[in-house]
Amino acid sequence: MSIDTIIAFSLLVVVAGGFYAGRTRAIRLVGDARRELHSLPNYYGYYVALWTGLPALLVLMAYALIGGQVADRMVVSELTREAAPLTSTYLETLTNDADYQALTAAAAQQRGRVVELNEEISRLRSTRGEDRDPAMIEARRAEQLEVLNLATDTDAQAVRRQEEISQGILDSIAEDAGGYRIRAGFQLELGGNAAKQLFMADARRIADGRIASRTSPALDAAAASLVETEALIRRSVAGLVILMAIAGFGLSRFQIAPSFRARNNVERLVLVVLFLSSLIAILTTVGIVASLLFESLRFFREVPLQEFLFGLQWSPQIAIRADQVGQSGAFGAVPLFAGTAMITLIAMVVAVPIGLFSAIYLSEYAGTRFRQIAKPLLEILAGIPTVVYGFFALLTVGPFIRGIFGALGFEDVVTQSALSAGLVMGVMIIPFISSLSDDVINSVPQTLRDGSYAMGATKSETIRQVVLPAALPGIVGAVLLAISRAIGETMIVVMAAGQGANLTANPLEAVTTITVQIVMLLTGDQEFDSVKTLSAFALGLVLFILTLIMNIIALRVVRRYREKYD
Amino acid sequence: MSETNSKVEVRDVDVFYGDKQALNSVSIDIPKNSVTAFIGPSGCGKSTFLRCLNRMNDTIEGARVEGSIKIDGEEINDKHLDPVILRARVGMVFQKPNPFPKSIYDNVAYGPRIHGLAQSSDELDDIVEQSLRKAGLWEEVSDRLSHPGTSLSGGQQQRLVIARAIAVNPEVILMDEPCSALDPIATARIEGLIDELRENYCIVIVTHSMQQAARVSQQTAFFHLGDLVEHGPTETIFTNPREQKTQDYIMGRFG
Amino acid sequence: MTESVSKPAIKAAVEARLAKRYRSEARFRSLGLAAIFSAVAILVILLGSIGMQSLPAYTANEIFLEVDLDRDLVDPQGDGSEVSLREGSYARVLQNAMREQFPEVRARRDLRQLFQLYTALNAPRLMDEVIEDPSLVGTRYRFRMPLSDDMDLYLKGELLDQSETRMNTALRAEEEGRSIALVSDNAGFATLLENQRAALRNEAVALGASADELDLRVQAAGDEDVSALVDRIANLRERQQGLLDWADAEDGVFRLDDTLPSVIVEMAGGAYKLDGVSVDGTRATGRAVVQPESQSADSWNLLVVDVPESRRRSSDNQLVWSRVLRDRGVIEEHTNRYLFGNADSREPELAGVRGALHGSILTILIALILSVPVGVFAAIYLEEFAPKNPVTDLIEVNINNLAAVPSIVFGMLGLAVFINVFGLPRSSPVLGGLVLSLMTLPTIIIATRAAMKAVPPSIRDAALGIGASQTQTVFHHVLPLAAPGILTGSIIGLSRALGETAPLLMIGMVAFIAETPSLDIEGMTQPATVLPVQVFLWYDGAERAFEPRAAAAIMVLLGLMISFNALAIYLRHKFERRW
Repeated sequence: MSIDTIIAFSLLVVVAGGFYAGRTRAIRLVGDARRELHSLPNYYGYYVALWTGLPALLVLMAYALIGGQVADRMVVSELTREAAPLTSTYLETLTNDADYQALTAAAAQQRGRVVELNEEISRLRSTRGEDRDPAMIEARRAEQLEVLNLATDTDAQAVRRQEEISQGILDSIAEDAGGYRIRAGFQLELGGNAAKQLFMADARRIADGRIASRTSPALDAAAASLVETEALIRRSVAGLVILMAIAGFGLSRFQIAPSFRARNNVERLVLVVLFLSSLIAILTTVGIVASLLFESLRFFREVPLQEFLFGLQWSPQIAIRADQVGQSGAFGAVPLFAGTAMITLIAMVVAVPIGLFSAIYLSEYAGTRFRQIAKPLLEILAGIPTVVYGFFALLTVGPFIRGIFGALGFEDVVTQSALSAGLVMGVMIIPFISSLSDDVINSVPQTLRDGSYAMGATKSETIRQVVLPAALPGIVGAVLLAISRAIGETMIVVMAAGQGANLTANPLEAVTTITVQIVMLLTGDQEFDSVKTLSAFALGLVLFILTLIMNIIALRVVRRYREKYD
Repeated sequence: MSETNSKVEVRDVDVFYGDKQALNSVSIDIPKNSVTAFIGPSGCGKSTFLRCLNRMNDTIEGARVEGSIKIDGEEINDKHLDPVILRARVGMVFQKPNPFPKSIYDNVAYGPRIHGLAQSSDELDDIVEQSLRKAGLWEEVSDRLSHPGTSLSGGQQQRLVIARAIAVNPEVILMDEPCSALDPIATARIEGLIDELRENYCIVIVTHSMQQAARVSQQTAFFHLGDLVEHGPTETIFTNPREQKTQDYIMGRFG
Repeated sequence: MTESVSKPAIKAAVEARLAKRYRSEARFRSLGLAAIFSAVAILVILLGSIGMQSLPAYTANEIFLEVDLDRDLVDPQGDGSEVSLREGSYARVLQNAMREQFPEVRARRDLRQLFQLYTALNAPRLMDEVIEDPSLVGTRYRFRMPLSDDMDLYLKGELLDQSETRMNTALRAEEEGRSIALVSDNAGFATLLENQRAALRNEAVALGASADELDLRVQAAGDEDVSALVDRIANLRERQQGLLDWADAEDGVFRLDDTLPSVIVEMAGGAYKLDGVSVDGTRATGRAVVQPESQSADSWNLLVVDVPESRRRSSDNQLVWSRVLRDRGVIEEHTNRYLFGNADSREPELAGVRGALHGSILTILIALILSVPVGVFAAIYLEEFAPKNPVTDLIEVNINNLAAVPSIVFGMLGLAVFINVFGLPRSSPVLGGLVLSLMTLPTIIIATRAAMKAVPPSIRDAALGIGASQTQTVFHHVLPLAAPGILTGSIIGLSRALGETAPLLMIGMVAFIAETPSLDIEGMTQPATVLPVQVFLWYDGAERAFEPRAAAAIMVLLGLMISFNALAIYLRHKFERRW
């Protein structure tokens, strides 16, 4: 049994004890005259138990949530502090090292030249007519490429020199426990953010007794320090928990008196818990908005908003090294918006007629038995996980479409296409539209139908001319909700629509969507600071705003419609 | 009441909702060009009976009507007879005004359009105007025919619905408590309208209010617990009923 | 509009249009029916096609190999200790056993192919079994391992198209220098010969046709430069002639090489791979892949594998060995115990869904523990206690909107906040459950509120009327009555979470995890994956055999979801109350 389990378990025991103590104390205070108690004895028990358990539980939860992070921070600051003299020696050596300084200066100068050339090229490009000199542009571009390569080489040399120096300094440290700690601190201090994360992740794996991606004495030292710090934190948390439990117990028990309004106090506490629970919904939204907005703002510092919203080219494949100049990728999201729009359109073309007609048939024509069978079948369609639809789209629908269009004489039709993803997404959305429309159609008052039948209208005339016009706002709302669902759908498009950011109107080609790119950019290894990763959050923000607007409109339309007939 | 004078002849009609019998062997003759009122406590089957006359009970799942109902000697309670044709001949007005979510004009033109009664748009305009005039609504709405039907007041809506019903020039108009959702002034207008329409149509009205029955009808039928207890000229029913039950109801001993 | 004229006229007008109106009615109605049937048909096709695709995954061809657990090989230190047993050379043990089956295989290249009939990952499996039971050392042991995925599919008839003909005529083998000649006096190879020659001639005709087409283009080209086209035409004609010559086989022997379908003759427990057939169909030359028990037989098998050897990964030798081993009873087809017993693996034949299943269970458990209480509490507050004020309105709007936020956005929240700010362990069920619980929360809140709304006010009034506090009313009366609705809502929400993939991709649950996470607290913080993500990892796996496994994982997932929903429906029916 781990220490956490013991703490949790003993907390439970203490809470039970609190309940018992509160209850018996209340009873003992009044003896047989139970009516003198303001509340039932149990409430005194609840009161003490709550004050015993709740604060301690909050501390435990905070520990569970941020304990690991705190330990990491403490270890990092401790180790870097130990390595501080070494780090300053190193930085000093670096500033005094002529070779290194020369190399960095050269690199800076070369990069400056690249920027100059960049400007010159854009100037050359912007000239029109007689003065335009294509040969000159070519020449400048060739030169730029050359300088760029040169700069990269120089950078590499500088880094090598840097490594030589740091190696030299590391060699001077003793090969003992203290030395390893200093090494760890040194690496943490100089490694940059990503390297720091990786280092600590490995140290944590070693500390947990799992297999790390690499091992070194420095890592072992960091892991040992981590284990120590965590033990310290755990002990202090345990102490704090016990202290809070005792304090809560003592204080609340002290308050108990026959006239003490235990029930009201307990209920007030319960109310607070309930209120906090409902706040989680808000916190979630705040978390979503904050994280998307924060990272997006960082992205828009690098890439201008209008380039992102109106740029026609999307290729986020960014430089291999963070400081590399030049190819910074293209972040024009229009191809993604177009792809998303096309797939959504295809999905709607499938889902709206089928869903709407199914709803009409189910609510107006079908007998009870038929409805009892058909409705659950449609609901199954809604319950199928999207990854299954993706599988179906790629392995069944894609080849089928390719076969059909191949037979019709279209060459090079691909299996991953906007069409197959859109069709299958449409199928996924059918039950969504049909059940929402079913509700809406059913809430059209029967008197309207009776009025129409009494005029001698047939069923379809009644539906087309009376029921559907009456239900129209609700149906529009349902379609809007369905569109927002389609825009945010991920797995089907990831699996079946392809990844190429083509700006095309041909549904037989592979297209990409907002969600596909988010998945592409955020799965696998990522540096959290690169523009590429940040762009995913900008896309996420667009997605969030789009679906939010649709939902607000749809909910408003539907609500107004409901009010009209209720 | 001579044979030739009756518009609707009903013989031994039973109505079942599932296993429940709602009407027991009702027989009645309803005369032409007059207003017949059905009265009785709620749940007595008067609305159910009314709905038999244009086969609106067909739209209720599990409802079954047995017996004979003839309009102008033609059997209508017959599965082979098309309710669509029947309902073009027998119009209906409901408890709650139910204008369609369309313009005033389109509401009235609905029947003529679906039945193809107008050859040209001028003719349709004419039908709409005539119907609205007959319903006494023309003066109030002639300048806003394109407004939605639901924008009218409750009384106006009910007159709109009546105009809608008479636009196909039916032989019989059934009214199911047409004034129960209206204020006294609107009620008075509708009652006046019913009186005017009597000249051209056979009108059957279900009503809760005995005063209303006395005011508008020439014939009255009293229903109780699914039975047609008594029917005859309104005056006779109100002043000199044959049955004790009728008397009790009219005296307000139950309701 | 005088009455006497218009009424019969109206009746006539109505009747005149009636047929047309009913036709349109029937059309409209059948459209509705067609919509429902097409939706249901798609459902059937979807489930049916995935079910069909999953079929090959449920059975596995397994090799039951008699291995000699030679003490020198498996216990190098000779003390039988675990350390010593771990140093044993189990790969060698397996290789020796395979060589025992086919002593005639000596060339290094052939041996490598032979050892590819199973994956090298079986050696550690054998080691585990020996460590489990050290008394096996020094004995002969019947080791059970899966056949390689390609061969497995081949034996199931899923990998290659082939035709197998049983010949009931005599055939004898004669040594002819380094190769073997097979002699069939009744021209048993004649049909084979005809088919192959016809195929070559057809191909030649096709080449000729494309050359003719190019010819026309050259003639129509005018004064453009056509030299490239002319070259291509010459090349095509040359290839055409080459094929025709090949088919004619003027030297009397039709050559079979690795660009043509492979031809294999099975006789007397052995097998020959053919490389030539005489034009009279009586003689064929080739090499022995597996030595037969005798040099002649009264009946034999002619096996033609349509895909040429040069265009597939598995060699003819491997096909033959697999077939022979099956005939010898060494390979048997059994229920695929690896599919349900193992976690993910790089080798399809060893890959299973158990790890993902455990991951799913842990993740959903966390989501359940977190989302149900919080959701129910929040719903109670909003439904029963919340004062009508802007904050409450904000919360309400919020919940409705959260319900429609794309799931992937929750994943991004998990990445940006839970991983990068709070430092929760990546890829772990704890994190996955947390993200899914936030996603499920709105569903549970909405369902709970609906269930509480359905409890009639008379119950509340009654409780309040006898002096219960609001809290007591809610907890003692309303909540128990709303419990079935809450339960169904929670189950439906969690079953949706069970099938969710996208947010979990964001928080790194796509990693390749070869260990099955344990079903306890420990397992909740270890890296794991879940069933839908496992499908995603397998669906386009490089190995074809992952496809049926992905389909099988889908079936498991659907099975779980169906039982979840069946439970919800059952509870709804059992406790449903109408007021």
